[in-house]
Parts: sequence; C-alpha cells; structure tokens
Amino acid sequence: MKRFWIVFCLIWTVAQAQTSPEDVKEFTLANGMQLLVVEDHSIPNANMYLFWRVGSRNEAPGITGLSHFFEHMMFNGAEKYGPKEFDVVMEAAGGSNNAYTSEDVTVYTDWFPASSLEVIFDLEADRIGHLAIDDQMVESERGVVLSERSTGLENSNYNKLNAQVKSAAMFAHPYSWPVIGYESDIKAWTKADLQNYFDVYYAPNNCTVIVVGDVETDAVLRLAQQYFEPIPAHDPPQPVRTVEPPQQGERRVVVYKEVSSPNLEIAYHVPNARHPDYYALELLSSILSTGNSSRLQKALIFEQSLATQLYTFAPISLDPNLFEVFLIAAPGVAAADLEAAFYVELDRIKTDGVTEKELQKVKNQKLMEFYRDVETINGKANNLGRYEVFFGDFRELFQAPERFEKVTAADIKRVANTYFSPKNRTVGTLIPEPKP
Amino acid sequence: MKRNLIFTVLVLLAGTVVAQSAFTLPKYEKYRLKNGLTVYLMEQHEVPVIYLNMVFRAGAVLDGERAGLASFTAEALKYGTENYTKSEIEETVDFLGSEFYTGAVKEYAYAYTYFNKRQQADILKVFGEVVRAPSFDSEEFEKGKKRKLARMKQAKESPRGVIDAYWDKFIYGTHPYGNTAYGDQTGVQSLTVEDLRAFYAAHFSPQDAAIAVVGDFKTADMKKRLDQMFKDWKGSKAKTRNAVAPINLEFDRSRVLLVNKNDSRETRFYIGGKGVPRDHPDYVGIQVINTILGGRFTSWLNAELRINSGLSYGARSRFSTHRLTGSFNIASFTKTATTVEAIDLALKVLARLHNEGPDEKTLSSAKNYIKGGFPTDYETSGELAALLTDFFIFGFDEDYIDSFQKKVDALDRKAAQEIIRKYFPKENLQFVLVGKGEEIREQIRKYGEITEKQITAPGY
Repeated sequence: MKRFWIVFCLIWTVAQAQTSPEDVKEFTLANGMQLLVVEDHSIPNANMYLFWRVGSRNEAPGITGLSHFFEHMMFNGAEKYGPKEFDVVMEAAGGSNNAYTSEDVTVYTDWFPASSLEVIFDLEADRIGHLAIDDQMVESERGVVLSERSTGLENSNYNKLNAQVKSAAMFAHPYSWPVIGYESDIKAWTKADLQNYFDVYYAPNNCTVIVVGDVETDAVLRLAQQYFEPIPAHDPPQPVRTVEPPQQGERRVVVYKEVSSPNLEIAYHVPNARHPDYYALELLSSILSTGNSSRLQKALIFEQSLATQLYTFAPISLDPNLFEVFLIAAPGVAAADLEAAFYVELDRIKTDGVTEKELQKVKNQKLMEFYRDVETINGKANNLGRYEVFFGDFRELFQAPERFEKVTAADIKRVANTYFSPKNRTVGTLIPEPKP
Repeated sequence: MKRNLIFTVLVLLAGTVVAQSAFTLPKYEKYRLKNGLTVYLMEQHEVPVIYLNMVFRAGAVLDGERAGLASFTAEALKYGTENYTKSEIEETVDFLGSEFYTGAVKEYAYAYTYFNKRQQADILKVFGEVVRAPSFDSEEFEKGKKRKLARMKQAKESPRGVIDAYWDKFIYGTHPYGNTAYGDQTGVQSLTVEDLRAFYAAHFSPQDAAIAVVGDFKTADMKKRLDQMFKDWKGSKAKTRNAVAPINLEFDRSRVLLVNKNDSRETRFYIGGKGVPRDHPDYVGIQVINTILGGRFTSWLNAELRINSGLSYGARSRFSTHRLTGSFNIASFTKTATTVEAIDLALKVLARLHNEGPDEKTLSSAKNYIKGGFPTDYETSGELAALLTDFFIFGFDEDYIDSFQKKVDALDRKAAQEIIRKYFPKENLQFVLVGKGEEIREQIRKYGEITEKQITAPGY
C-alpha cells in the first residue's frame, strides 16, 4: 500500500473523482493538533486515523523497537479506561481498530458506525492525555511482541533477509534496525523509557488526526475541541540528526536458512519522498516489476525461468532510504546467476532507457491504483494522512499529478544511472548453510 | 507490525453483517442468457471502474486423482487464445492498468478483472476469448508447471501459508473437500496439457457458470456487451453441480497431525472439528458466537492467549464453510517451549464456552460489533461482485444481507446456548501442529493419536 499512495493525487485531478481538495476541511486545535475531516455518506460508517510522527528512526541502540512496543502499550490502559477496556468499550460500540508502526510513523486506526463517533473521541482522548503504563501489562506485552517478532522470522524469508541487508546498507542512520527491534532490547527496556517516549512523542502537536465517513464536519470539530484540545502540548521532539554517509563500495551479506532455493535482495540508497526524483523512482519500480509484462517479471520469471517470484519497492520515507529488489530463485538456479541476470536487465534501462509505451503503461497503472484507493473511506483517510506526513502538506497531493506527468523517459534513464550503481548497492543472499 | 491483522482478515472472511443504520444490498439485476449463463449486474458510480467476476463450477473438488488439475486449468486459461499469445494478453491488461486473475478454489474456478470504464471494450474482448476459447499452449504449460512445482516447495518455508492445506486434508481425508485448491507436487507433476484441455471441455459451460459485473456502467449497455461476448458460447453439456458426494463429518476419537519442521522456532496449531455449510440457517448466529470465542480482539481466545498471558501474538477461531459442509477451528501459535501451555489454554477457553457461555453484556457487545463492521465488508464494487457470485455458488441470496441485522438482534442467551451446543465442537477434537517434532512430540501425545509428516515431503 505504501508505494501506491502517490497515485492518489494524480487521479484526483485527472479523473475528477467525487472527492476534491475542497472536501478536505483542515483545522488546527489550540494545542497544535492537526485535524482533517472529509464527509462521505456512502455507508453509515466512519473512521479515525491518528498519524503520530514517531517511528523506529526516532530510536537509538538499547531502545530499538520501542516505537512499535509503544503502539501496543497504547491499548493497555489509561486513566478512565483501564487495562483491556479500550478494546472492550470500542467493540461494544460496534467499532474495531488496528495500528501499525513503520520507520517513520505510528498510525492508529479506528473504524466504527458513525453513531459511535463520540465514544471514539472519548477513548482516544483518554489514552493520549492520560496513558497509564502498568508494570504487569508491560511484562505480558513483551511476550506478545517477542511472539510477533518470532512469527515474522519463522514465516517470512523476506523479513529475515531484509533485516540483515538494511543493517549492512545503513552504516549510521537509524533505518539500520528493524521496526520490531532487537530481541535483547525488547526484553530489556524499562518503564522509564516508555514514559519518556510517551511524553515526548505523544504530544498532540506531534499528531495529525483524520476523520472520514458519515459524519458532519461541525460535529467532528466540536468533539475534537471538547476531547482533544485540553491535552497540553509538549516541546517538539529533537530532529533526527544523523545523515547516512554516501556508500563507498558494494556491501554483501549472507544469511543461512533452510530454503529450497536462494532468496536475493539488492538494495540501493535513494533520496526521501520530498526529493524531486521520487516520482521517477516510483515509476521505475513499476516498470521493473508491476505485472507479468514488467521488465523483470517478463525476463527473469517468464522468459529465462531464473526466478519464481520477485518484487521491487521504491521507499516513501522521511529520510533517504533503500530502493529494494527482492528475488526468489527457481530451483537449481544459483544466486549468482540470478543476480547477474538482474544486472543485465538493469543495464538495459541504464543504457537504452524505457519506451514511451512503458511509461504510459505505468501512468495508467497509477491511475487505477488511485481509483481503488479512494473507493473506500479507509483508503481516503490513510492516503490523506500519508500525504500530510511524508510530503509535508496534504494539499501537496493536488500538485502531484503535474509532477508525475512531467516524468519523461529520459528522467527514468537518468535516475537509473544516478542511483543504481554497483558502488551504491548492498546485496544479500539467503541460502542453506553449507554442510561441513 | 499490525497489531491484530488477523482479526481484520477474519472479519472480511466471515462476512459479518448489517449495521445500526439500515444497510441493505444495493439494487441489482439477475437474468440468464439463452445458453444458460447466469448474469448479475449492479451499477455503482463512485469511481469510473468496473469489476467483473466470473465463476465456473469447476473447482478442485473435481480434481479426482490429479491434485491441482482444476487450479492449473483455470490458471492456464490465460496462456493464450486464438488471437492473443500469453504475452499479448498480459501486455494488454497491464497497459490499461488493469489486473486479470484466473484460478480455482475448492468449489469453483474464477476469472476476475477490473478496469477503467473507458477501456472496457479492450478488456472485455480479451476476457471473453480467455474464458471461451483458451488454446492451452503447451510450451507455456511446461514452463508454468515448473513454476508451480517450485512455488509449492517454497511455500512450505512459511507454515502459516500451508497449515490450511494440512488441516483440510486431515479433516476431510479422501473426500474431495480434502483437496488442496492448488494441488500438490505429485499431482501437478503428473499433469499434461491434454488433461487441462479435457478438464476445460468437460466442466466449463454456461449453465454451470455465472458472471457478476459491478461498477460504473449503464445496465442496458452492459447487457448488450455481455450478450455479444457470450451468445455463441456453448461449452460442455455436463452438469457438475452435484458432483460432490454428501459427507457427514463426524469424528469418533481425537487425532493429532504433527508436521515436523526441523528449523522451527515456534509451533503453529489448529484445533477443531466439524462446522456448517455456507447456506446454513443458523450461520448468522454462529458468527455472533464465534465473535465472542475468537472473532475479535477482545475474544476469549485472544484475551487468554495474548492479552492475559503474552503467549502469542494472536489467537482466533473461525468456521470455514463449503456448499455441503464445513469445518471449525481455533488457530494460534507460540514459541516451541510453550506449545502445550498454549494449547491447554485454548482448550480451557473452548470448555468455558460450553460450560458457561456468554453473559448478557458480552452477547450484546458481540452483536454490536458484528453489525457495526458489516457495511464495510460490502463497500467496494469488487466486494459486491464477489458476493453476487457467492450467491450462485453457495445458493443463498440478498436475504442474508437484508435480514442480517434482524437475525443478530433476535439472538438471545437461550438461542446462543443452543447454537454453542449444536455447532461448536466439544469432544473428539482434531489437532494439526506445525513445529519442531523432537521438542514437542512426547508432550502432545495426551491430545490424541499422532500421525507425523515431514513438512519437506510432497503433499499435505
């Protein structure tokens, strides 16, 4: 989902779907909390998305994984609603919820019948204003998160390999560690670490709230003023200071696991979402891997039978991050052969560029992705929030079509040559441990 | 990272129903073409997109001795037609920003696409040829076969992706409902392109198929287009509706399937037994009770295994339904060392459901919860198209949607107790565990007679 949200904007202008920029009502509460409201009366439901500007990039060794752990702790009791009651009360009101943590943000999502809007404000205000960190809940939640970490490593080869590749590629920046954190840190952080995190990062001025659905804007604003506005602001968090130094040469990592064929990840340093090259990189990712006719799928899976599955991801992040290529080899294919075949395809783009038809294809794909994203109230809320946080202003989304349209075949070729160099890459292979 | 993703998924799968404000199914039209093809049309104009879902009674239950036959046949529909090669189909679909999937699950094969309404003529032309006149190119078949075999092997590296296949095989045995939708390595290895052609010829026919189109179109116009696409389609004459023999899923003893995975760090387990068919008259009530047991974050299972004990990231229960029957299971996972502790706790929760049942407050909360989430399950045109073809395959209709709220509201404690007693397994439970055999084998003998398999062995 992450990589598709730009499309969103493209389409709003191009297709003039029902939602327009004027439908997004923006408010800033006295404590600095930002509120976006979109009325959508298509179903009798609504949602509330809370985007907190805190993720694993705000951590340091010793407290890796704390942002994610905190996401769990936000469900474990506050002043008015004690441990377990947040979910009990919400579900009894017909609502449900989820949350996710990334390197950059922590997002809480509440979905509910529109008639339960006030219950949701009450619940959120309680935990934002008065979280109670209960010792016993901290201990049992450690077990939950260790289980979550473990099941990710058990079931996903990508998880296992990507953690090592990121750590090799990111020499200095906090994107170096996995969002879930290191096992040692999960077992060791203290209540004081949590309290400090809450005070600094869960201040209302560090949050954007989005409400979309069968609601009246005035009523939402009134409830926000009643429930959220009294929560005091806090000094803004310290910015993340570390800048990843340019890579000086190729880095390689090997990870052992009982796999039936090698898994391969090749990652390149690329700029953050606000860099002008973002749009060309996003389109390049689609040209490489979206659909069976994409460059890599066609060549590596269907023509040469070297891979069985592959993915590419252009990051959307606050700081410069990695463009990832993940390949699963066909049985009997050596990692080195698959890697070499990938470079051949990449070099074709670096040397010959892409065709106008390919460029048009990925622009068409973006349009359809957008339609699908805004078809639901949740798609609208999530995309507005991402735009606000990653591009700095939700209004920016209405500029994006122009920026996407401006991307030319020459731009694609240029970014391929700028970023996809051997010196700038980290290569990881997941293979069975050789028998002695 | 997601806190309780499994619950989101569960709700979607379970098809929970109607909300506080009256939610009824949007208007649609159903009719049959002269050749017998059933058509559902529903206009939805929020975005300029059209979703098309076509189903055929040609699912994996018809695999016979050749596991994977139905699924491979459906996937290979896209390997070429009279006028398009496989690549040309893909290029057309990709260029328009569409997606086009074909495949098979247990009880039906499907062809699914969505597209920008401005490009409907191009996509419909490809779609029509693919389902009516596939060529089953033999070179593409051989390459596809290699890919399928490789992926089946790789899939075993993720227990959560394959435990369902082990469960169904263990529960249903040799009955066709035990067939894994995508087959197994032995079955797929044995298939030839002629097998696919023969299967297509025997089972893809208008009288055993339905098409649902939902989205931004005018009904009269879409009717003309569909008529044009399908009027000359004859297909096979065979009726396959009753091809699956009835089954009475009863167990006279507890059994355990241990799937050994040497490098496991955790045990993933299912516990359960007999369930209900999809069109069961008590299906709604069963969903309400299951919400309490294992269908939401505060469910009793998740509360015990996650919230109170920290043994697992999540625990849930669900009813998997088919046309003639279904199964029920509790599912969770925990680190190898706490396998027995977690299973015992899950069994204790199930016993509590039978011995105590929910109190008034819990029942009322579950009813609100299940009604509150319902409209979002049918929010998109794609979800609505899938619902309409489910009507055709499983034999229910919009009454399920429109009466849902009423049925939920009507469920009192007495009815709840009755549903628990009748439909939630209590004795002779069945267990499937994927984990490290040498560390758990002895401890789990107490649950029943053990059968052991190696996860790396072909099949399930």
